Amino acid sequence: MGVALGAGLAVSIAGLGGGIGMGAAGGKAFEAIARQPEVGGDVRTLLFITLAFIETLTIYGLLIAFMLVGKIQ
Amino acid sequence: MLFGMLDEVFFYLGPIPVDHIIVTEWVIIALIALISYFATRDMQMIPRGLQNAFEMIIIWTYEFFTQLMDKEHVAKKWAPLLTGFFLFILLSNYSGLIPGAGHISGFQPPTSNWNVTMTLALITFFSVHIAGFSEHGIHYLGHFVSPSPLMLPLNLVEEIAHPLSLTVRLFGNIFGEEMVIAFLLFLAPFIVPGAIMGLSLLLGAIQAIVFTILSASYIAAATGEGH
Repeated sequence: MGVALGAGLAVSIAGLGGGIGMGAAGGKAFEAIARQPEVGGDVRTLLFITLAFIETLTIYGLLIAFMLVGKIQ
Repeated sequence: MLFGMLDEVFFYLGPIPVDHIIVTEWVIIALIALISYFATRDMQMIPRGLQNAFEMIIIWTYEFFTQLMDKEHVAKKWAPLLTGFFLFILLSNYSGLIPGAGHISGFQPPTSNWNVTMTLALITFFSVHIAGFSEHGIHYLGHFVSPSPLMLPLNLVEEIAHPLSLTVRLFGNIFGEEMVIAFLLFLAPFIVPGAIMGLSLLLGAIQAIVFTILSASYIAAATGEGH
């Protein structure tokens, strides 16, 4: 039971943090593009890289969840 | 089954077990090679049809990587590898969406296997260092002690973390998406999984782009000036 709870908590807490971070990054990027549409391409590339880095942390949580699910009898 | 251990070995090629993942990879490689062969079979000065499309893609990728890496000769040198990454990962991600995937044994996106993404990340890892050495020569080693020799352990950890994060990102995304689709198919076999499948079309393309852009930026960091 504890293992199952742990798996759920791992992915949900990781998702929570990643979601907040991605929201902040995406919102700021949209503001920047709306203010200066000519830098849209650069901002988009940087946004993708940033989101990928944030996402990695969430995926680490998912990975731990998979490992824990493998341990449930 | 978890973490892509070998599950259904078809035959042995010497000591190497050949399972369905490897066969899917062969099919994808053959597909890319065939399309490229037919596109470049008899090239014209004034391109038409498939050749036209390929020239457009190649010019577009060269411009994109030149803009990303700042150095044109480096971008020209590494653009073929990076475009190859993009096409291979894109087709691998989409190979899980073919009708019948999941029902017929052996239809599974290769990128949802830990070993495949690790291989791709290791190719990036070695090409980053090869690019660094071929650009700066022996001075490239100075980049590991860049602000001060005290930073050497941190820099080494960073070099290991790059391929690890590339591996885990691609594997986690595609494997997670496959698990979600499988679970939804179990809960509601009709229509409902279609929404997630549509989303995974977008996700597969984004993951291919992210892997390519990150590889390009690691190569750019290794070949760049300064640190």
